[in-house]
Amino acid sequence: MAEFRNYTLNFGPQHPAAHGVLRLVLEMEGEVVRRADPHVGLLHRATEKLAESKPFNQSIPYMDRLDYVSMMCNEHAYVMAIERLLGLEVPIRAQYIRVMFDEITRILNHLMNVGTHALDVGAMAVMLYMFREREELMDVYEAVSGARMHAAYYRVGGVYRDLPNRMPQYQPSKYRSEADLKRLNEARQGSLLDFIEDFFDRFPKLIDEYETLLTDNRIWKQRLVGVGVVSPERALQMGMSGPMLRGSGIEWDLRKKQPYEVYDRLDFDIPVGVNGDCYDRYLVRINEMRQSTRIIKQCVQWLRENPGPVMADNHKVTPPSREQMKDDMESLIHHFKLFTEGYSVPPGEVYAAIEHPKGEFGIYLVSDGANKPYRVKIRASGFAHLSAMDEMARGHMLADVVAIIGTQDIVFGEIDR
Amino acid sequence: MQAIRNFFKTFLLWELLRGMMVTGRYLVRKKFTIEYPEEKAPQSHRFRGLHALRRYPNGEERCIACKLCEAVCPALAITIDSAPREDGTRRTTRYEIDLFKCIYCGFCEESCPVDSIVETRVHEYFMEQRGDNIFTKPQLLAMGDKYEQQIAADRAADAPYR
Amino acid sequence: MNAKVDEQNPDLVTITVDGVEMQVPKGSMIIEATDAADIDVPRFCYHKKLSIAASCRMCLVETEIGGRPAPKPMPACATPVADGMKVFTNSPKALAAQRGVMEFLLINHPLDCPVCDQGGECELQDLAMGYGRSVSRFTEGKRIFDDENLGPLIDSEMTRCIHCTRCVRFLQEVGGQKELAGIGRGEHTMITTYVREGIKSELSGNVIDLCPVGALVSKPFHYRARAWELLSHAAIAPHDSVGSNLWLHHRRGEVMRSVPRENESINEVWISDRDRFSYTAMYSEERLQRPLIKRDGQWAEVDWEEALTFAVSGLRRVLEADGGEALGTLVSPTATLEEMHLLVKLVRGLGSDNIDHRLRRGDFRDGERAPMLGLPIAALENLDKALVIGSDLRSELPMLNHRLRKASLKGGQVSFLNPREFELNFDAMQLAAAPQRLVRELALVAQAVADASGKALPDAVNALAGGESASEEHHVLASRLVGGERAAVLVGALAEAHPDGSVLRALAAVIAELAGATYGDLPSAANSVGGWIAGTLPRQGGLNARAMLEQPRKAYVLFNVEPEDDCWNSAAATAAVESADFVVALTPFVSDRAKAYADVLLPIGTFGETSGTYVNLEGRWQSFGGIAAPVGEARPAWRVLRVLGNLFALEGFDYEESGEVLAELPKAALESERPAWQDVALELQDEGLVRVAGAPIYAVDALVRRSQPLQDMPQSAPAAVHVGSAVAEALGLAEGEQARVRQGRAEVVLPVVVDDAVPAGTVWIPAALAGARGLGAMVGGITVERA
Repeated sequence: MAEFRNYTLNFGPQHPAAHGVLRLVLEMEGEVVRRADPHVGLLHRATEKLAESKPFNQSIPYMDRLDYVSMMCNEHAYVMAIERLLGLEVPIRAQYIRVMFDEITRILNHLMNVGTHALDVGAMAVMLYMFREREELMDVYEAVSGARMHAAYYRVGGVYRDLPNRMPQYQPSKYRSEADLKRLNEARQGSLLDFIEDFFDRFPKLIDEYETLLTDNRIWKQRLVGVGVVSPERALQMGMSGPMLRGSGIEWDLRKKQPYEVYDRLDFDIPVGVNGDCYDRYLVRINEMRQSTRIIKQCVQWLRENPGPVMADNHKVTPPSREQMKDDMESLIHHFKLFTEGYSVPPGEVYAAIEHPKGEFGIYLVSDGANKPYRVKIRASGFAHLSAMDEMARGHMLADVVAIIGTQDIVFGEIDR
Repeated sequence: MQAIRNFFKTFLLWELLRGMMVTGRYLVRKKFTIEYPEEKAPQSHRFRGLHALRRYPNGEERCIACKLCEAVCPALAITIDSAPREDGTRRTTRYEIDLFKCIYCGFCEESCPVDSIVETRVHEYFMEQRGDNIFTKPQLLAMGDKYEQQIAADRAADAPYR
Repeated sequence: MNAKVDEQNPDLVTITVDGVEMQVPKGSMIIEATDAADIDVPRFCYHKKLSIAASCRMCLVETEIGGRPAPKPMPACATPVADGMKVFTNSPKALAAQRGVMEFLLINHPLDCPVCDQGGECELQDLAMGYGRSVSRFTEGKRIFDDENLGPLIDSEMTRCIHCTRCVRFLQEVGGQKELAGIGRGEHTMITTYVREGIKSELSGNVIDLCPVGALVSKPFHYRARAWELLSHAAIAPHDSVGSNLWLHHRRGEVMRSVPRENESINEVWISDRDRFSYTAMYSEERLQRPLIKRDGQWAEVDWEEALTFAVSGLRRVLEADGGEALGTLVSPTATLEEMHLLVKLVRGLGSDNIDHRLRRGDFRDGERAPMLGLPIAALENLDKALVIGSDLRSELPMLNHRLRKASLKGGQVSFLNPREFELNFDAMQLAAAPQRLVRELALVAQAVADASGKALPDAVNALAGGESASEEHHVLASRLVGGERAAVLVGALAEAHPDGSVLRALAAVIAELAGATYGDLPSAANSVGGWIAGTLPRQGGLNARAMLEQPRKAYVLFNVEPEDDCWNSAAATAAVESADFVVALTPFVSDRAKAYADVLLPIGTFGETSGTYVNLEGRWQSFGGIAAPVGEARPAWRVLRVLGNLFALEGFDYEESGEVLAELPKAALESERPAWQDVALELQDEGLVRVAGAPIYAVDALVRRSQPLQDMPQSAPAAVHVGSAVAEALGLAEGEQARVRQGRAEVVLPVVVDDAVPAGTVWIPAALAGARGLGAMVGGITVERA
């Protein structure tokens, strides 16, 4: 047999399968990976340090840009940390809205992840279908916050605005017949909640379609089954969380284990894998989308029946309404101070974590009593996952590295932050 | 029995055929493509796009140089210089937004006590020259003048929520 | 705080604030105790330097004495502590009271935050956030007041006023003049001036800082910036030798305002308007933006390199032809130590010794003796006897005047012996005598002091009395000086300008000796004392400031000096620089006058743009950094001098930062010494009219002269001939008429002001004003006639 020499392969940072700016230095023995060395930091923006120089609220938009495919979940952990330090009670309606959007975000994330994962290993159609659904969910984002991605919608004390009672509609154009337009706007006749409900009535069937395309597909299975196996013990030791941990068979979900907001009132299950390989993690994600659909439907139901405030009524922290601000001295002062100086948070430290689509996303916040955080530490799940790259890729073929990157759900926004 | 079924399914590329059926169905179905730019996707009235400075119906600019937007801007994209105008009112002598810095979070609009700075629905814009990214006060006011009707309608639609 | 009861000290009582036991001086107010213990009690009207008004009611706290709770919440600022008193600053009752007061204060407050300059640094906003309700219950209309024009420095918006009366109390208690007062009752209470003529106090700007709301705001700063945009850097005031501590607030390299930096031993919490508003001159239209040279009679803008080479070759030409003797260097006494040191090094390196910073001094015969106050500034307010000789203290050193005023309010006796009477803001005896009589008057005072103290007077002093003997007035004045525990004799700028200043100083020293008082000089400029440390003096037999202008040199280096305004003899100075072959002016400002005499104009940084060190009149070294970006191509002067040194190929000019320059200077503190007696002939022998001049408060240096808001103040009246009514009658002059005045060959026409504060034989024409340019000595013979 011919003698192979080990050589080093640079993978990324400009590589279509590298999911952003990942640079992997791979030590190869022929086609087999002997060592995988991920290099991080190319997307470092000093978010943690920036947050120290701004009043608390002004960092919310920066949280969107951490894991930029699950925007509102990042915001959620951040505002929750501040709320815990403040001891601020969030109105129940705002909690339902947050949970609903957390789950919409989870679906957005998984659609993106599974779609691109499939694309990476060679299946084009799934990605196109999933992005079609993402469009509609991003319309939901836009309807509620005004931005399709970087929402800045969650606020300390609740959410910025209540859900709108109408959805934007397609406008007539020469490319659309009237019937066509009517069909497109059919789901957009009512409120945002109607639109969401309509979407999630259809969504389980769409998930079935994805599964038809992938789950039994022999190519998909050949590429995924038995690749990147992580034993439950190692998964725990390496600090994995989310689908990465559950794929290995450990039933751990913060929504159940440390319920926040109204998760304890909702009925849902936690899908768990068996083998801890890429295929099981894929199944976990698909099933999480089904569970999220369940949660969202319950939220829609509740939100329809229970109107109410979406922002805490504590104007030492949350700004007064615009109408009040314009004709009442106290409110104007509070508006002015909150938008310039912000509010001060009592000294102390807090760790607030949520079950992020990618795993446990936590904000460790230290306040010294000022209007800016003394320290913000972001616990990004992807960082722990990426550190397992070497172990997961070792001994696999080069092409499997792509499958592993895909299954880890790497987004550099949160890893490099 | 199951084993035999699986054998045949494997042999006959059953799951691949089923997958092809899905794609095949979409092949003949109406496309969901939107013919941008002639046709556009629906846009929310809360959309946060390019900025504008508004005027009162009598033509007086709303902005009073209170600088709340400058203070609240997380990206430090807004630069304001102010001075008393001849009639003694507080006015900006310079109002610039660096569109490269701006993160379109909408905080400026939230902070504005006189509904002057707003984010419009405009999201299609470009820069040709170095320095074009600085959106100046006359440009901002021109934006406001051009889109005032839509801006006002959007604010009115959202008023109960803010 | 030591909780153990000190049985030994009967002046302390023990109180409990929010459960914490503390000992506080008997008779102090609760708020003083809480402030000392860092416990927050909200307040608007209370200020530690002002009397207690208890008008805002914001500081209400719950109290309990001897186990019996007070029936109502008590104002912490006006409730004296009592032994065993319990105070609750944040009990529900106290908080409810504070919230109630806050609601009332906001009832009539306009919704001005977005347009109000105070927004962001407003005590009303802060306390409303901290202690007030978050939503208003008030739905009725708000009352509105008309604004008043309070002058060029302070802008008013009286509707915002919450009637804390801090401004009223400040102007009365610290400013010394009742310029504001509250009128009306209830909702119609308003703060107003007495006769709608604005505020004139030289400390008036402090009401801007005191006002807890946006009712009184700075006019030059009006609508310019927000508090949160400004970066604040420590600085030292450049206009007088007190060296008030400042914060300079700048935004993007531009100084936006100047506010006091608390320093109990220098300026307490105040600063004078001169220090507060002079920053406006940094951006005056007369700022020199880039180097200018005069080539073949034409001015050209050039780059630094060309300008410096031009300056060097011009100076070389003169030095090679006529030697170092031909060069004269005038240094502004507002230059920093570093700049002075480099100039000395440069000038000596060029073989010249004609260098001086004592531009407004009339008499140089008493040689080298640094002018020092001789006691700490804070000690002035504890004097029980003081005699000030030849000083318009209020204009020269407003913060020292404030200290003496405090001494006077505490019962101290302050007297002035001046060539004219000045408007004072406290009780003091004023003795005015014509300048030519000043030496004699002082000798007579010495006689009276000798009598009062029972000591013998040196014969030489008796001789100066010219055979007269002390009158009743002199004896009264002596009694106001002798016998005090803490007494001081202070000699000011008018005495310095006197051609027999050395005699006046010597006499003052004799008087101080007789009265057992401290002798102190009152140098006027920021670094007058520093000049002695850096050695900007003709120490090797060169010519002093007066001599080098009276004996014109071939070349001059002017360092931030405008000879026509800054020198003792404006006429001589102008003539000397105009006739010189080559004049290099390092200056932040350009004027047609400078263009007429200078050959090179090098733009240097002003105060705020240069790092450096000032030595104040106590001998205190105070360093500061460069804060703002120099305007145009101006550069910090020490850098310019460093490059000049390099271009002249002199040794030791390789500095990287101003601190290295400072390190070369001797750190030893200056000793204040009393002037020794020396027998000299009196120079001022005129029998006729004598002009006497001081630089008005807002004309002392190039920077203030270009501060428009200060130039709009009533103190900046144009130059005029001030004469007493007797003199006016004798000359046939009436108020408002034009008079032609002549000093030697110098001649100008000025309006007449009849003012009986000016004694017979004296003509008061302020120096450093446009109208007085080209006149002769600040103190010297003059003729006046109807124009």
